[in-house]
Amino acid sequence: MPTILRELTGIEAASTRYMGLHVATKILIPLFLSISILFTKDPLAAISLIVISALTCKLAGIPLSAMKKYVVVIGSMTSFIALSFVLFAHLPGRVFYEATLLRIEAEKGVFEWKILVTDTALSYAATFIARIFAMVLTAILLLGTVTDRDFVWGLRSVGLPFGACVAASLFFRGIQLFVSDFMTIREAMSARGVDFERTSLARRFLLYANALIPLLSLMITRSYEMSLALEARGIAPSTRAKAVYHRFAFRRRDLGITLTYLAVMMAFILWWLLW
Amino acid sequence: MKDLYKLDLRVLTVREMSAPRRVTWMHIVTFAFATAISYVLGVVSSLIFPVLGAPGVSALYVAAAIYVPLGVWMGAWGALAGYVSCFFLGLYPSGYSVIQSLIWSWADFIEAIVPAAIFRLAKVDPDFTAKRPWAAKLLPLFISMGTALLFIGIVVQVLWGAKYGEPFVTFYVYSVYIGTALALIGIVLGLIAGHAKTWIAHILGIIGASVLSGLWGAGSLTYFNLPPPLPAELFWPVFVGWVLGDLVVLSVIATALLVALTPVFKRTGLYVKGWWA
Repeated sequence: MPTILRELTGIEAASTRYMGLHVATKILIPLFLSISILFTKDPLAAISLIVISALTCKLAGIPLSAMKKYVVVIGSMTSFIALSFVLFAHLPGRVFYEATLLRIEAEKGVFEWKILVTDTALSYAATFIARIFAMVLTAILLLGTVTDRDFVWGLRSVGLPFGACVAASLFFRGIQLFVSDFMTIREAMSARGVDFERTSLARRFLLYANALIPLLSLMITRSYEMSLALEARGIAPSTRAKAVYHRFAFRRRDLGITLTYLAVMMAFILWWLLW
Repeated sequence: MKDLYKLDLRVLTVREMSAPRRVTWMHIVTFAFATAISYVLGVVSSLIFPVLGAPGVSALYVAAAIYVPLGVWMGAWGALAGYVSCFFLGLYPSGYSVIQSLIWSWADFIEAIVPAAIFRLAKVDPDFTAKRPWAAKLLPLFISMGTALLFIGIVVQVLWGAKYGEPFVTFYVYSVYIGTALALIGIVLGLIAGHAKTWIAHILGIIGASVLSGLWGAGSLTYFNLPPPLPAELFWPVFVGWVLGDLVVLSVIATALLVALTPVFKRTGLYVKGWWA
């Protein structure tokens, strides 16, 4: 069963034991880890969280090469964080490097924009950058382990009406449909001589804007047909399922794993409180 | 044929007035597909036109152009589509954690709810028929440039003008005057482009959605998330990038979409008159 957003991320856990866990457990693990990010205030805590998150991904059978999908994000964020602590935030501490970039003699004093590298700035930057890695790993864990079916069955098992379950299901199927529609429109444009690789950013923006009208027209047609089909079957959006074909069981294994990650989160909170 | 089309619309309006409005499959299915399409566009735009260092934030966030029309057409469903698609956009390709994404996503909810609220609270029935197409084409240019100049002037004044005085104050004064003049020309163009109430509501929607969603989006990335992924010092660069990008995209693409597809939405019965139905 495909994991959520697999069409775009391509991330899928290989461990059948992990995938056999209750959907609540699979959601709670990344949730507890992401709460822990909040309580990492120094590089050591952040690195510990990276290690735990990476190990969890490994146990779930998600290859760490999935991080490749986020290389641009990690690269741009880390460089931006480093630049912001050097260019915008002038944190006091032991100065390693200082240079003035811009100096304007203003009416009420001198405006200066400078590069300032201090030990405090480097420590802050390291914490923020380490947090980015932890953030990405928890996102990978959630996306790689929760399937569409988990999601829809989860909604049904908590008693939500068909309207909510169908909407969730259609959203995940819709992504695949619109990605393929988008590619078709893009190919049609290329067939008419548009070279997306060589066009300027402004022209590319207009090209993508033009692609929106057929894309939305397709959405309207699909919505119309799909809703007529659902109404023809006599199902009302507020109907609740009386029978389910599959029942999730929250086993002892689920409880144990959930409690372990709850303990990990509590440990990070204690670390934050005590140090 | 044209008369027949008008007749159809009239019959629909009479039916709508007589029957109580309720949520149907049409609303739910359109919401689900609108969420999917917004997500795909969000991914495409944040990969093609990224704001360096703020993943999920795009200098030209094409998906935002859909949220405004969705808010106008579908009311709260459009806003919900914005929230859900932005939540998943936070997970991929932005790489935010679940909690960060849950908080950050309100930015795109705001993006759609602001125009939805303006149209519904002012009881404006959207009629984007352009009586003077040239005015409708020029309007986005003047509104986006005017508001952008006004916005840059205010940012310069807040950050440096108040503290250092000249020459920042002069820059602020000129940019505010020129920006206001351009925005006023845009408003006049809106008044003569077609149905005045519709176009004024649309202009207010564009400006309100850009600034308010920018405040929440940049704020949740730098100030009040759990934890904010970026340092607080980056609030202004992210905020300015967000608002300027949104102004361009909303005024250019959202206007085109509203003009082209509002009649289709009304004709097919997908149009949501109230908040949910």
